[in-house]
Formats: sequence, structure tokens, C-alpha cells
Amino acid sequence: MGGIMEQHTQSTEHSSTSLTEEDKKKIVSTFSRYINAGQVKYLKAGHLDVIETERSVATFTDPVTGKVMYDCFSSAGCFNVGRRNPVIIKALEEALSRYDLGTSHLVSESKLALARKLTAIAPGDLNSIFFASGGGDAIDCAIKLSRAVTGKKKIISTVKAYHGHTGFALSANGKEHYRKYFEPLMPGFSFVPFNDLEAMRQTADEETAAIIIEPIQGEAGIFTGDREYLQGLREICDATGAMLIFDEVQTGFGRTGKMFAAEHSGVIPDILALAKSIGAGIFPNGAVLYRPTEAVQSFLKSSPDFHPTYTGGSDIACHVSLKVIEYIEKEDLCGRATRNGKKLKDALEGLRRENPKIIREVRGIGMMVGIEYIHEFLGPMMSDALAKNGIFAAYSGNAPQVMRFMLPIAASDEDVDMVIKAIRAAVSDMKTLLPIALPAAKIPGVLKLLNNEKVQTVTFNWIRSIEDFFGKLKREKRS
Amino acid sequence: MNTTTSKKSFRDDVAGLFSEGKLNRLKDLGHDFIESGNDEHSITDQEGKRYLDCVSSRGIFNLGRSNDVMKKALIEAVGLTDQGNFPMISIEKAALAEKIAGFVPGDLECTVFSVVRGESIDFACKLARGATGRKEFIALNGSWFGQTGFALSLSERDDAELYGPLIPEVSFIQPGDIAAAEKAITKKTAAVFLEPVQVEKGCRVLDQEYLKKIREICSRTGALLVIDETETGLGRCGEKFAFEKSGILPDILVIGESLGGGIFPIAATVFPQKLNKFMNAHPMIHLSTFGGSDIGCRVASAALAEYEKIKPWENTTRQGEPLLLELSVIMKQYQGVIEGLSGEGLLIALDLGTEKKALTFCRELATAGLLALPGDIAKHTVILRPGLLIDDTTRADIVRAVQEACIAMG
Repeated sequence: MGGIMEQHTQSTEHSSTSLTEEDKKKIVSTFSRYINAGQVKYLKAGHLDVIETERSVATFTDPVTGKVMYDCFSSAGCFNVGRRNPVIIKALEEALSRYDLGTSHLVSESKLALARKLTAIAPGDLNSIFFASGGGDAIDCAIKLSRAVTGKKKIISTVKAYHGHTGFALSANGKEHYRKYFEPLMPGFSFVPFNDLEAMRQTADEETAAIIIEPIQGEAGIFTGDREYLQGLREICDATGAMLIFDEVQTGFGRTGKMFAAEHSGVIPDILALAKSIGAGIFPNGAVLYRPTEAVQSFLKSSPDFHPTYTGGSDIACHVSLKVIEYIEKEDLCGRATRNGKKLKDALEGLRRENPKIIREVRGIGMMVGIEYIHEFLGPMMSDALAKNGIFAAYSGNAPQVMRFMLPIAASDEDVDMVIKAIRAAVSDMKTLLPIALPAAKIPGVLKLLNNEKVQTVTFNWIRSIEDFFGKLKREKRS
Repeated sequence: MNTTTSKKSFRDDVAGLFSEGKLNRLKDLGHDFIESGNDEHSITDQEGKRYLDCVSSRGIFNLGRSNDVMKKALIEAVGLTDQGNFPMISIEKAALAEKIAGFVPGDLECTVFSVVRGESIDFACKLARGATGRKEFIALNGSWFGQTGFALSLSERDDAELYGPLIPEVSFIQPGDIAAAEKAITKKTAAVFLEPVQVEKGCRVLDQEYLKKIREICSRTGALLVIDETETGLGRCGEKFAFEKSGILPDILVIGESLGGGIFPIAATVFPQKLNKFMNAHPMIHLSTFGGSDIGCRVASAALAEYEKIKPWENTTRQGEPLLLELSVIMKQYQGVIEGLSGEGLLIALDLGTEKKALTFCRELATAGLLALPGDIAKHTVILRPGLLIDDTTRADIVRAVQEACIAMG
């Protein structure tokens, strides 16, 4: 298997990235054995068992078929500056000529430079920073800070919220699916419906340490927090002494058309968690920005290193992240996200009007756009149809009926046009299956069955094997 | 920082951007400078002063600082790929996972990747609960597993309650106390967590008989044994993994950040096929965006090849044993400064008696050109953990710096 990786290295140097069916089988079986066989089945069901090669700006290539796929997932928002951005690769090489990961507890020019930049572009007076190794780690740091500073225990999160998989982040995850096998998690966490200010008012009190929220819920299915809602949260926090935590792991660094989604509402949180695109899909990093109030400073006097990370905020990462921000600013990626996001959203809205039995709603802001289907089971079906049409898109983890289209923001106008064309084709393809699926969904019990992830995996894999069988037959006939 | 003004700007920057507390902490340690460069075993500050690196960023730099092979591997990897979409199948993930299976002993052959130690431990906890259907965790007093939610819940931290209530159903037992282990570990226990050497507790080495006994009790009760080798593994204690000396096998092994060769953040949780049944039945239930980055997997594959080739554990023994001997000579020579020594391989704690003295000692070491940190739990100890490829000259430099610090303390 290491052999394939080495061969792959050599062959790519000669700019050929093709793999045979046999090679792929070997890779998939190695992945199944040493990582996860269930994941392979799951991906296969949605035509997503593709290996990504020739990654570039907004696309990657399936090395077996040679098919170019548009990346509408971007590793959940990691590739804002585009995949394998040469400017960022150069920055990494620069960093390597001067640094290694660095000594975690020491100060370096690289760390200082990123800290200065992040605090300068951060909303309002979020003037101080901790580094983190990734999104979950940043959220764990943020929640710890809020409990320690306020001396209170209650954390309020929102239904269907997604904050990560580490202990604190998971405890704040608003979908039972991710939590249920691992309970009991941390006490003191509660969940209220998103965008429901009254529910938050009733839940928050003098015992609340923090309200944690994604200003735009991602995995929940792209729900934008209303300005009044977010302003209301700020007021509740100010009145009760709770800290307001914004999780901008997915929405940060230009995704929504602003450097940070918080800017849309003008609401400034007390703590802002960042990761994903800060590393450009090249080098992991994360950050927690905070307002250095007296209470915070007083806590940090006795526990300055209460949440150290030995590899987050590394010297290499900080140099890379600095160049990422400079690139977003220089190329006005925020402007591009607004422009192309609108184009994409308008096109999807057109599709919805044409297909009211399939698409319920189109939502989003900037290049964080999603469509909600009438039924959950249409999500995986559409994933499958999109894959066939050269689009890699994933349905939302906490809402399978919603599909997100999160192209790299650096994608060109032409890329966006191609994506729109392919989505249109996928919807049209999917319609051929609907005469069976939609009436079936009306039979009592069947809808529940169709919406069941396990049933989908089995059914789609069954369809895949039939397709493979006929495909093979066709090929044999031809030869 | 040659002038008073630049010293002031350093102070303002650190206090403003990070915190006043951070600045004070760095001053207390004598580490209030800007890390500006490095060579194989040391770093330099902005004035060009060299410090032997005996922190290794908590064991990340087993292969030394700025390792050329690792740098080359990273540059090659970036020339070929990026982190990839995290849910996808990739050549890199498959190849590294297979390589890890070949690198670690026994039937440990499935891997879940992460970026940082805490995340690996958090996943180990989730796997243990998921696979056993049990809830209870047992950790040892003196443990330190990281900063994330589960890891923190299993660690002995005097400030833990500030962040709580933490994960429920965690209890602690005293290392070495077999009767306590017999009583605590039951059929309700999902997993027992330990580090073979409790680094932050002054490098307290767990007795091999004790490890064997814990293994036996775990096997008998069906509790999983999780061994965290973040700080002790990949050669730090004279073996690939410190637990190997006792001849036991864990059910879940955590390999920490030194997997990335000091150049890329990557860590791993490794476990046998039988535990993977749970993950196979519930795919995508634990995700890591950066864990298993294809670039990281390529770098880690190169690192494992380098570990296999160099076998740094051999040098660890070669240098670690005389180092311990030389330090004990100094301890006797400067009676009352160093009160005790503990550790294994190139992981040695000096007992300075009090927290204040340990901080002063770190400052004196910095003056003498050596970078070291106190233990996070045993704050009266100072831990030495240089790169594993040090030679006689570097070892002599470490000993000289410790001696100078002792003289200054006296």
C-alpha cells in the first residue's frame, strides 16, 4: 500500500495521476481494513468513494475515470482561498526556511505577526488571542474560558448546533446522533431552538456562563441568525453576565461575504472561535479571540496557560495563516463570495421554482448556500446524482435534507457557472427516480424507512452494484 | 530586543496580544524572549543566544528540531496534495494507517487520526464507551492527558473545577496500589487510562508489575486498557513505546504529536479490529477536519520510516543512562539543590523541593543556556526532555548547564 503512495508520488511528478480499478480496489480495501469499512460503504452509496487527485482551486480529479469534480464541500469550509493555492504553498516553503513547529509556550515573530493581524481584523475589541489546534480544540478553549472567568456553569447552545467532537464541543452539539453513544457528557449544557430569542430569554439566567452559537448554523442546514436575534443574544449576555461565544469555524475568513459572519449583524461576541480556512487546507491552525476584560485578565493572571496547544499556533502555521488573511484581503475574496454567492443562490432559487416537489427552500449568505429538499432521503439521492454530474457535495451532518454548496471562494466566475449547470443536470437526472420514490414516501412507514441512513446505505449500494454490473456488461460488449 | 524600547515593545505585545499573566509566566521561567531560530538540538533568541532545547515542545521533537528529512517530506507532500476532504477515502490515509499497524505491536491495527493529544484521548474515551456500552472511566492520580473535554476530565489538575462540571463517571486510583485497582476496576468500567511515565507528575515511572496487573484486571473485567504514549512513545523511553518493557499490550494506544516528526501536527489513536466493529457500524460519528490531513499523512509516513531507520530508542538508552548517572553525581555534589531524580530514557525530572525553587531553577538553566519547564502537576520538579538524537557533546552541555544552575542556586 505504501508502494501505491510512492508510485503515486513518482507518477505525479511526471504529471500523470491515473489509477487503475485494481489500484483503487487495493486502496479502498486498505482503507476499509485499517481505517473504516463502514465509512467506505457510506461513501459508496452516494457515489462519493472517489479518490481526490490533481486538487486545484475548485476541483479535483477522479484518478480512475479522469473525471474532474467540482468541490462543493471544501472540507466543510477549509478551502476558502482555493485548493493548493500557490501563494500559500510558497508561504509554507518560506516558513520552512525559517521555522519548524516552534516551542509551544514561547513567543516568536511568527506568532506575534499572526496575533497582531487577527486582532486587527477581528470584530470590535477582541484584542487578545489564544491559539488552538483546530475547531473542536478552539471551542473547548472558549467554553473553558467562559466557565472559569464567570465562575458559572451553565452553557446554552442551540438545537442542531454543530461545534465539533472533543469533550466540551460535543457536549454543546445540538444533535443527539453525535452524542448518544458517548454519554454521559458534561452536565450544565442545554439547547434552545435557533433564532428563537424568547426561548433563549427563558433559559439564560444569572447562572449562565455562556451562550454559544454559530452566527450562521452550518451543519444544521444553513440557517442565518437574524440581526435582531444576535443583537438580542448580546443584550441577554450583557444583562446576565454570561459570555457570548461565536463559533465561526465554518463561517470565518470570507465564507459569508465578510471576513467574519459577525460583521453582518454588527454584534461583537466576547469570544470568537476560528479554525478551518485559517490553514488554507494546507496547514492546521486555530484561534480563539477574546475581549481582555478585567475579569478575563484576572483569571489569566493565575492560569495564563490554562489551555495550551502543543501544535496549534505553531510557527509554520502562523506564517501560513498570516498569508491566508493577506490573500483574502488582497484578492477581495469577500467581494467575490458576495458576488458569486448571489449568482449561485439566484440560480438555485430558479431551480426551486421549477421543482417545488423536490426543493423546499434555498438558503444562505455569500458562498455558504444550501438547498433544503422536501424529504430527508432526497439528500443522499441528490448527493448521488450530483456526483454523477461531476459535483462533490455533502448533505449537512445535522440535517440530511439540506445540501450545502460551499465551493472554494477563490473559484472563478466560470467555475460557478459550470457548477450551476451541473446542479441543474443532477436535478433533472434525479427526477427519473422520483416517480417511484415520491409515491412510495406516501405509504405509511415507508418515508421513515427511506429517511433511515442505514436503509439508504444498503439501497444505494444495491443500486450501485446493479449499475456496476450493467456498466461492466456494456464494457465487455464493446471490447 | 537590544534596546530598552524593544524590550518594552515585547512586554506590551505579549501582555496585550496574549495576557499579562502569560508575560509574567515567561519572566518567571526566564523565557521572556523571542524564539528566533533553531538547529538540531537548540533554539536561539532574537539576540542570537542559544538554548539547548530540553522542552521539545512536550515531546514533539523526538527527531530533533527542523529535521531536514521531515522538512523535505513536507515540501514534497505540499507539492503533491493538500489536506483533502476529511470524510473521503485517500491513498495517504490508507497508507499511513497501514504503516502504523505495522509499526505498533500486537493486533493494534485500526487508526483514527487527530491533530493533537487531547483529541486522540477524547476519541479513545468515546470509542471505549461506544464499544463496551459501559460508562465508567478510571484514571490514575498524577495523570495528564491534555486540554480537551474528556482528556481534562481524566487529568489531575488543581484548577479542573473551574471548567466543570466535567465528564461524569470518572474516578481516580493511586498508581502502584494493586488492591485499589482490584476494587475500582469492575465490569462497569469502560476503560482504564494511563501513561507509562507520568511526565507532569515529576516523571513518575509506573512499575512494570503494576502495569501487568492492571492488564490482567482489565482483561478479566472486560475494561479496555488505554495507554497514552504521547510523551513517552516513539523512542523517548528507550523502546518504541514505553509499555513494551512490561510485555503487555493496550487495547487502545494513543500516539501523540511526535508522529508528525516535529514538522506537522498529527496524532493517532490505534486499536484492534474487534473495537472497530463499533466504528464500522457508526461511521462518521467522530470527525476531525484536520486529523488525517493527506499532507500530514505523507509527513507522518516519512517520520515512521525515519523512526524505523534511525531507531532513536537505541540512542535514547545510550545517552539516557549516562545522563541520569551524571545528574545523580551533580545531585550529590550540590546537596540540597536537587532533591531527587526520576524518569526513564531521555525523560528525566529533577526534584527541586518547591514550586518557587523549580521556577528559579528554570531561570538559572535559561541563563546557562538550557530551556526546560516545570511539571504541570508536580510543580516542584523540572523536566528534561531533549531531542532523542543528542550526542555526547550535547549531553555534556546539558550536564554543564544543570551544574551551573546548581551553583547559581547554591
